[in-house]
Amino acid sequence: MSFLDSLAAGLSLVGNIESFLALFIGVAVGVIGGAIPGMSATMAVALTLPFTFAMQPITGILLLLGVYKGGIFGGSIPAILIKTPGTPASSATILDGYPMAEKGEAGRALGMALWASCTADVISNLSLILFAGWLASFALSFGPPEFFTLILFSLTIIAGVSGDSLLRGALSALLGLLLATIGLDLVYGTNRFTFGDPNMMGGLNFIAVLIGLFAIPEILAMVWHPTAHVGKARSLGKNWVSFADYRRSFKSIVRGSFIGVFLGSIPGIGAAPSAFLSYSEARRTSKNKENFGKGEIEGVAASEAGNNGVAGATLIPLLALGVPGDVITAIIIGAFMIHGLQPGPMMFILNVDIIYGLFIGLIVSSAFLFLIGSVAIRGFKYVADIPKRILIPAVLVLCIYGVFAVNNNIFDVGVMFVMGWVGYLMVRYHIPAAPFLIAFILGPLLEDNFRQSMLMSGSDPLILVRGPITWFFWSLTVLTVVAIIRAGVRAVKGGALTSGNLEN
Amino acid sequence: MTERQVQLRLGTGALIAALFLTLYAIPAWVSSPSNVGNVILSPLFWPYALAGFTGLTGLGLVFSGMRMAPDGAPLDGPDEDAKAAWMRLAGMAVIMGVTMFLLPRLGMVLTSMLVFAASAFLVRTRHPVTALICAVIIPLVLYAFFAHVAGVAIPQGNYLRLP
Repeated sequence: MSFLDSLAAGLSLVGNIESFLALFIGVAVGVIGGAIPGMSATMAVALTLPFTFAMQPITGILLLLGVYKGGIFGGSIPAILIKTPGTPASSATILDGYPMAEKGEAGRALGMALWASCTADVISNLSLILFAGWLASFALSFGPPEFFTLILFSLTIIAGVSGDSLLRGALSALLGLLLATIGLDLVYGTNRFTFGDPNMMGGLNFIAVLIGLFAIPEILAMVWHPTAHVGKARSLGKNWVSFADYRRSFKSIVRGSFIGVFLGSIPGIGAAPSAFLSYSEARRTSKNKENFGKGEIEGVAASEAGNNGVAGATLIPLLALGVPGDVITAIIIGAFMIHGLQPGPMMFILNVDIIYGLFIGLIVSSAFLFLIGSVAIRGFKYVADIPKRILIPAVLVLCIYGVFAVNNNIFDVGVMFVMGWVGYLMVRYHIPAAPFLIAFILGPLLEDNFRQSMLMSGSDPLILVRGPITWFFWSLTVLTVVAIIRAGVRAVKGGALTSGNLEN
Repeated sequence: MTERQVQLRLGTGALIAALFLTLYAIPAWVSSPSNVGNVILSPLFWPYALAGFTGLTGLGLVFSGMRMAPDGAPLDGPDEDAKAAWMRLAGMAVIMGVTMFLLPRLGMVLTSMLVFAASAFLVRTRHPVTALICAVIIPLVLYAFFAHVAGVAIPQGNYLRLP
């Protein structure tokens, strides 16, 4: 199929009101969800997922992608207006966004955040379109040993960079892998941790685990401290962003977008580090570096470009390799599975219409983001006024309905509650939840590819180093582990040195 | 909790979990056919491997925790009125437990109404009337969507039959 044929197939799939409406609603829900302090883009995507069950696959996935894109931008609104990032990715935006709001320039900061976000979004989407197909064609030659090493590498980097500590990340990933063993054995069909209960034989429901891990802990955190996330919104002020502001910050926006694309395409790194790296690079190279941190518009532009540049790029490993790039794409992979689709290189052959339909939808989503973002900036005070103590019960009820709807099974609601407490404990003990969820998704794939490799080779482990692709992934895994351990050792030594100096 | 306490507690927990898995859980709750020729292909291999890695991670956590200064700064800020917060958390646990009990008996709509109202009052909402109105409307709207648009068979319970 030529490029034009694929494009036409994609267009025929999404060229209807239903798809664009889903995308529009998705972006709107995402912006609102991201803008509500205490919610997050992850939670918004997770809570929207059950609503996609009755939709066509492409419509449902576009809805979720819209929520994802909108959510990342939406987080910048409370970051600038009330100094509370709506999503962790917007933390860097506070550094200059809030000082601008204090100076009465919140409207200008938000306008720049929107322009930078949309520019980065376009660059990120184009990168996805350029690289995903190429990577998928390369991945077509992968066999079970190559996939095993790829997934192992992905898990290593996700566990290593998702939290403050490699060991806590590794523990989180191991818990996810252990939980994924529940159910019937993949090869022999024998019971593993099912306790004879038929509800457990298919393994734990992914949506129940996901919502349990990401929505319920937020509810419990609000129950613990119901008055958190309360802040006074600053007014927008009279100044608005000008084209001259945009032109002055353009270099930082483009640089930040590419930083986002690069970091987003590596599984596990996510938007927050990208935003901070983009911000620090902008500060390092800017003529106004002394203004950074005091209300410099270029700082807002750089951090927003950094976090939005990630959004399209995280879909590169998802679509091309079937490996989620971050937690939100892990949720989106669940949506693919529910609709009977398996992301990965074969999808570029079997479902090329869906792939190109998604590409078209993503390009359109940038325009929707611009439209909806402009309105949302002015309407934030209504969102900020939603009483959190009404929102908590509403989210809880929505979780119950959504999880039940997956399999029409009350057991899944119980799984969600249990996972919610597990997730809350993880929060209290500073264990990152992302490695847990991604390992839970990748666990069966990892085991399956390992055992298939062993079956292929007659249990000879040398098959796992059979060619350049496996060597490449093994080398990356080793390099990642060494780099993370070195960084950890340096941090411990640095900490010891600092405390020593303080004592002296 | 300081960083050291977190590492030590997690490490100890991971070691206990690894021992429990290896000595009791896997032999008792994972079954394997007797004719599996190679240990690597056995359904037991993967859980044992993961239990082993959990143990190693636990050792790593304990070791790194022991190397940290005992008087480190707490990772979290001080909690205001922790006793009330614990009570609210316990209340939420009760609500969740009762939800599981009531769902098959009262149905999802009535149970959700009760859950909504109970959790809104648990967090001491300043808008009790709004909370009660939302407690009735939101479960009904969700029922209408899931039952009539998504085609999900929402449990109706023994007392209330909705169209």
